[in-house]
Amino acid sequence: MSSWLEQAPSLTNVLHYSLAAVALLLVVLGFVTYAIYFERKVIGWMQLRPGPNRVGPLGLLQTISDVTKLLLKEDTRPKHADKALFTLAPILAYSPAFAVLAVMPFTDTIQFADLGVGVLYYIALSSITVMGVITAGWASNNKYSLIGGMRSAAQMISYEVPLVMSVVGIILMTGSLNLKDIVYAQQDVWNIVPQFLGFIVFLIAAQAELNRSPFDLPEAESELVAGYHVEYSGFRFAMFMLAEYVYMFGMGTLIVVLFLGGWLPIHPSLDFIPPIIWFIIKFMFYVFLQFWLRATMPRFRADQLMGFAWKVLLPVALFNIMLTAFVITYQNGFM
Amino acid sequence: MSASYLVFFLLGLLTIGGAVFMINFKRVVHMVIAVGVSFLSIAGLFVLLGAEFVAISQILVYSGAISILMLFGIMLTKHDASEEGSKSKGRVWLTFLGVAALFVVIFTGIQNTNWSAIPVKENTSSLSNVKEIGIEVFTKYVIPFELVSVLLLVALVGAIVMAKKEEE
Repeated sequence: MSSWLEQAPSLTNVLHYSLAAVALLLVVLGFVTYAIYFERKVIGWMQLRPGPNRVGPLGLLQTISDVTKLLLKEDTRPKHADKALFTLAPILAYSPAFAVLAVMPFTDTIQFADLGVGVLYYIALSSITVMGVITAGWASNNKYSLIGGMRSAAQMISYEVPLVMSVVGIILMTGSLNLKDIVYAQQDVWNIVPQFLGFIVFLIAAQAELNRSPFDLPEAESELVAGYHVEYSGFRFAMFMLAEYVYMFGMGTLIVVLFLGGWLPIHPSLDFIPPIIWFIIKFMFYVFLQFWLRATMPRFRADQLMGFAWKVLLPVALFNIMLTAFVITYQNGFM
Repeated sequence: MSASYLVFFLLGLLTIGGAVFMINFKRVVHMVIAVGVSFLSIAGLFVLLGAEFVAISQILVYSGAISILMLFGIMLTKHDASEEGSKSKGRVWLTFLGVAALFVVIFTGIQNTNWSAIPVKENTSSLSNVKEIGIEVFTKYVIPFELVSVLLLVALVGAIVMAKKEEE
C-alpha cells in the first residue's frame, strides 16, 4: 500500500489503478443485477409463483429494465429537505460499501490491497455507512425516515459489537488480522469447524448489519413506510439499494474468507478446480442462504432486537473467546 | 513529487477544513458531518505514516462516536438554529492573540524537540505492526493499559447507573 504511494503518480499508474477499480465495479454491478433477479425468482419459487418472467427470456432482463427506470426518473427532493445533506447521504452510504472490497482476497492472486489489518478494515469502513443512513433520515425532513434512520443506527451499532467479538476467536487461532493469512491457516480444517459458535454469532450479527430478514426493521414497510429512504427516489434511491447489495457481496466474501476457507478446495485432491471457482461456489451458498431466510423468516419486533444483541449474542461471543483462549493456551502447553 | 506528498496535502486540507467548518456551521448535524470529515482525514494521515492499525482504530472508534453524537444532536438540541448576536471587535482580537500564542508555543515545541533522540524501532513492516503494538502494550505499558480499561469500565458502569435512576 505504502509502496505505490511512494511512486510518482504517473499517468499510466493512475490509469492502471482506475481501470482495475472500474473492472471490480462492473463485476459487482453484474452481481447486484443478477442477485436481485435471483432473489425474486427464488422467493417466488418458494412461495409457489413464477417470479419475474416477462422482460427478456425467463425474465432475465427484468432488473436491467427496473434499474433503467430508476435512472431515468425525475430527480425529486422534498421542499424542506436539507439540500446538501440530502445529496451527500447516498454517497456516504455507498462509498464505504465499495471501498471494503479493496482488501478482499478473492483468490491467491486476485486482491487489490494486502492490508495487515484486513478484518478490522472491513468493520471500520462499514460503520461509516451508519452515518450515511442517519444523515439520510435527518436530511429528508420526514418523521418516518428519521425514525427509520434512528432504528437503523441503533441496530447497526449494537450488532457491530458481537460481529467484531465473534471474529476474535479466529484472530486468536491465526495470530494475524491479515485476510490472506487467515485463509492460509485453514489449509487443514476450515474455521467453521473449530469456531462453530463464532460462526453462528457472526452469521446472525452479519444479517443484522446488512439490514436483511429477519432484521429488516429499518425498512419495515408496515410501520415506517420505507424507513430512512422514504423520500428518496430515482438514482439516489438506486444508490441506497446498491449499497445494500454491495454489502451483501462484501459480507459474503468476508464470511467465505473467515469461516469457509476462502479459495481453498474442500479436499486437497480437488485442487484441479481453479480457486476462483471454489470461491464462487461458497459465495453462492451464502447468497442463497440470504434469499432463503428472506422467504421464510418473520421480522423481529423492535423491542426484542436490542436485548437479543446484548444479552444473547454478546455473551455467547465472549464465551467463545474465552474457550478459544483456553484451548490455545492448553495446546501451547501452559496449562 | 510523489503521490504521498499530494495525498498529505489533500488530507491536511480536509482535516483543517473540516475543523474550520465545524466551528462555522450553525446546525448541529452539519457540524457533526464536518468533524467527521476531519476525523476520517486524520485516519488517512495515519495511513501515510504506515500506522495502519491506528488509522483503522481511528475510523472504528470515531465513526461510531460521530453517529452517536449526531443522534444526540438531533434529539437534544433545537431544530431551528438562530444566529447569535455578532461578537464585539475586542473579543475577536483577544481570541486571535490567544490562538497566535498557542501557535507559537506549539510551533517552537515541535521545532525544539530532538526527534532523533527517540529510538526508531527497526524492522516494523506494515504487515506486523499490530503485533508490535500488542507486544508493547502487554509488556512495557501493561499498567497504564489496565488503568485505562478500569477507567472506561467505571465510566460504563456510571452511565448505566445514571440511566437506571431515570427509569424508576
